[in-house]
Amino acid sequence: MGLVCRVVEEAGIPTVCLSTGRDLTQQVRPPRSVFVNFPMGNAFGAPFDSGSQMAILRAVLACAVTAREPGTLTDLPLTWPKPFALEPGKSRM
Amino acid sequence: MTTTTTGPIAYVEGLAKHYGSMGHPPYQWTINTDAPWTSLTRPLSQCRVTMLTSGGISLCNMPAFDPMARNDHRLDAIPVTAGSTDFQIHDSYYDHRDADQDINCQFPIDRLRELASSGEIGSLAPRFWSGFMGRIYNRSKVLTESGPAFADELKRDGVDLLIAVPA
Repeated sequence: MGLVCRVVEEAGIPTVCLSTGRDLTQQVRPPRSVFVNFPMGNAFGAPFDSGSQMAILRAVLACAVTAREPGTLTDLPLTWPKPFALEPGKSRM
Repeated sequence: MTTTTTGPIAYVEGLAKHYGSMGHPPYQWTINTDAPWTSLTRPLSQCRVTMLTSGGISLCNMPAFDPMARNDHRLDAIPVTAGSTDFQIHDSYYDHRDADQDINCQFPIDRLRELASSGEIGSLAPRFWSGFMGRIYNRSKVLTESGPAFADELKRDGVDLLIAVPA
């Protein structure tokens, strides 16, 4: 996805990527990214928590306005309420 | 959930271990040291915005994504008026049980529509997007074919800003 952002940006359209995989995003280095330390699949928070969804969406949009350096990665100061882990292949299809 | 974490999960290491245990060679991640740049030239209140998900999300009246897909460059255009309960998710790569209940926790189309209604963003493009699902190994095709074709579609819609949400 970071690669797609890079291609779109190169074509002349600004992009912001909302990442839940900080190390992955750091490597691919999309032009602007926002990291939220939430489980993959909950990038904008919990279901039906429209307040958090909106707050994260606004933070993403703000990054589009404030970022000045190519490859900017902004960490959101949010904490997921429960421990979570990487479990590829164990989730539902 | 077997492991607890406080800091960011080490996905590079974890995925290499997981797929290594299945006999796959380590994934050669792209490592870039710089990034392209296009400045946002107008305030958000004048921007036309759209959003892309790579989470195997499709409209119920479209075919499901292949949950085990490899090198799937499928890209669906989703009408901006699509109902937020009209989606299905098929992707073995992540836990989407929450997003199955409320698409907005991964693909917040209702929240974006609210921002467009209130004028915080100028407008939404006529189409949202879903594609570039995980595990694309032929990355040069993204760089030379499917990515540029997507950028052309965004230009056709007059998009000023793309929000991308990987999964």
